Amino acid sequence: MSVIELESVSKRYETGGEVVDALDCVDFAAARGEMVTVIGPSGSGKSTMLNMIGLLDTPTDGRVRLDRQDVTDCTADELTEQRRSTIGFVFQDFHLLPMLSATENVELPSMWDTSVDRRERAETLLRRVGLGDRLEHTPDELSGGQRQRVAIARSLINEPDILLADEPTGNLDQETGRTILEELTRLKTDEDVAIVSVTHDEQMLEYADRVVRIVDGVIE
Amino acid sequence: MRVSSLFRRVPSVLMAWRNLGRSRVRTALATLGIVIGVVAIASLGMAGAALQQQATADLEGIANEVQITVGEDNDAGGIEPEDVDDIRSLSTGAEVVPEQSNHTTLASRDGQEMPVSVTGVTEANVLYDGADGELPDRLRSGALLTDETADQLGLEPGDPIEFDGQLYRLEGLIETEQGFRFVNNELVLPPEALSSQTAYDTVTVVADDGDEAQQIASAINERFNEPDDEQLRVESFADTQDELDSFMTTLNLALLGIGSISLIVASVAILNVMLMSTIERRGEIGVLRAVGIRRGEVLRTILIEALLIGVLGGLLGALCSLAVGLLIFRLLVGDAMAVFGWASLQYLVYGFAFAVVASVLSGLYPAWKAANDRPVDALRG
Ligand SMILES: Nc1ncnc2c1ncn2[C@@H]1O[C@H](COP(=O)(O)OP(=O)(O)OP(=O)(O)O)[C@@H](O)[C@H]1O
Ligand SMILES: [Mg+2]
Repeated sequence: MSVIELESVSKRYETGGEVVDALDCVDFAAARGEMVTVIGPSGSGKSTMLNMIGLLDTPTDGRVRLDRQDVTDCTADELTEQRRSTIGFVFQDFHLLPMLSATENVELPSMWDTSVDRRERAETLLRRVGLGDRLEHTPDELSGGQRQRVAIARSLINEPDILLADEPTGNLDQETGRTILEELTRLKTDEDVAIVSVTHDEQMLEYADRVVRIVDGVIE
Repeated sequence: MRVSSLFRRVPSVLMAWRNLGRSRVRTALATLGIVIGVVAIASLGMAGAALQQQATADLEGIANEVQITVGEDNDAGGIEPEDVDDIRSLSTGAEVVPEQSNHTTLASRDGQEMPVSVTGVTEANVLYDGADGELPDRLRSGALLTDETADQLGLEPGDPIEFDGQLYRLEGLIETEQGFRFVNNELVLPPEALSSQTAYDTVTVVADDGDEAQQIASAINERFNEPDDEQLRVESFADTQDELDSFMTTLNLALLGIGSISLIVASVAILNVMLMSTIERRGEIGVLRAVGIRRGEVLRTILIEALLIGVLGGLLGALCSLAVGLLIFRLLVGDAMAVFGWASLQYLVYGFAFAVVASVLSGLYPAWKAANDRPVDALRG
């Protein structure tokens, strides 16, 4: 059963009289426990599609369903709530906050929920990704691979249904990229999340349950 | 870097604090701007308070006095003894001191001459302060002289002084005074010394306080004067006190106005700092919003950053202003500790409050802008 669904989603950008159809009538779905990898040439609309799935942007046309619930017409604040509770993000350049420790970075998405203390879960997640001895380190004291693992732990803090990763291995060497992919594969079943990742990295396809190819905003 | 449990309860404060710590120089400069603004406001305010305190101290002791001199429509050329009796009856409970005055020239032993004004009065101790020690209760046969005059003429208590062909023994020295009550080069003699004049030049009424003095003044006015017929000129210093107070209020407002300009400049600096720092952190704020941090939470965090700068700058500024205030009071009032009164310390509170309010106001726009940036746009950079 799919947890996220795009139904004939189009995204059109109009800038200075020029019209770009970044997405054109895209149908897509992902279920818990599967890793879907999106590939395609540069500028084909991969990030745009991930933004739709991640509820960061709204489509020009079509419907977006989260857990079979239509969220296309939700307000920005409602979408923020949905993102907080159901979606985890991993970015190409990690995007950790430099003034927070590893544990605090992992806690970040739940930091303003003072009713629950996620510290324990943050530490558990960090141990799970092999950073049990780096809990109090700040990002500048960590290697690239370690930073990405902190980011992965952060994406899981609120027990999301979906984990979105835009080129998670893009800034890492082959070897480190492989350990990150192994981490994601393990977490996909442990945490029962749907993982949608975008990549240029050929080795990533080995770990995918399904590959979606997109060219000029159209899924092939 | 262990997070204190108190901080964990207020995540916006924690985040704001850490953000300020990231660019210490920038935070320090913004704080410095606020400090300067607060010092400007508070020290100008306190300077006003010091001036007012000094002026009031000058007036003190005479605010309860009414001075009666010859009015412009008076043909007698002096205040007649009957008038003095009338004044006495109108001034129940107050002391009435009639004086006569004249001029003469005193000479020192080595021939140096000096013009002085001569006052004939019995109750000299009511009108004058002794330069060193008490003055005699009633002046019978001796003379009093201002201390500076005596000094210049080389005269000492016990020395003889001649006036109108008669010799008087110098009995004491009186203080030379500047300011509202002007006492300079003055020879004080018993009234009999000026007995060739029957009328008095000045009658001073010393009441218990300023209000009573004013009541007596208006009673005397009513008794002697008509709107177009001034027999006696009646001056009460309580009026002077009121005029001084209102002038001081105006002066204080003007000084505060000048001070607040510098705080406005400081808050423009904060606006700039906050704007720069939120623009720099645009991507970071985009990540916060992407992972589900609400707009209000981002807004609060940035506002608290501005608030912290304001509180920090306000406190430091108040501290510096207190030091400046001690100096001002030392110079203007002659007593540094006189700064510890609400009249002057209130400006520390105003400066601090102004700093906090100005900081939060200038944080509003950057905070609002950052909180409402769409995460997709912020992440794209
Ligand atoms: N905000 C925008 N305004 C205008 N055009 C945009 C905007 N965002 C994306 N586009 C356009 O949409 C198309 C798809 O962009 P997108 O970022 O999704 O590509 P991508 O597949 O992620 O490429 P890459 O692999 O280089 O990251 C591009 O042609 C791009 O120019
Ligand atoms: Mg992209």
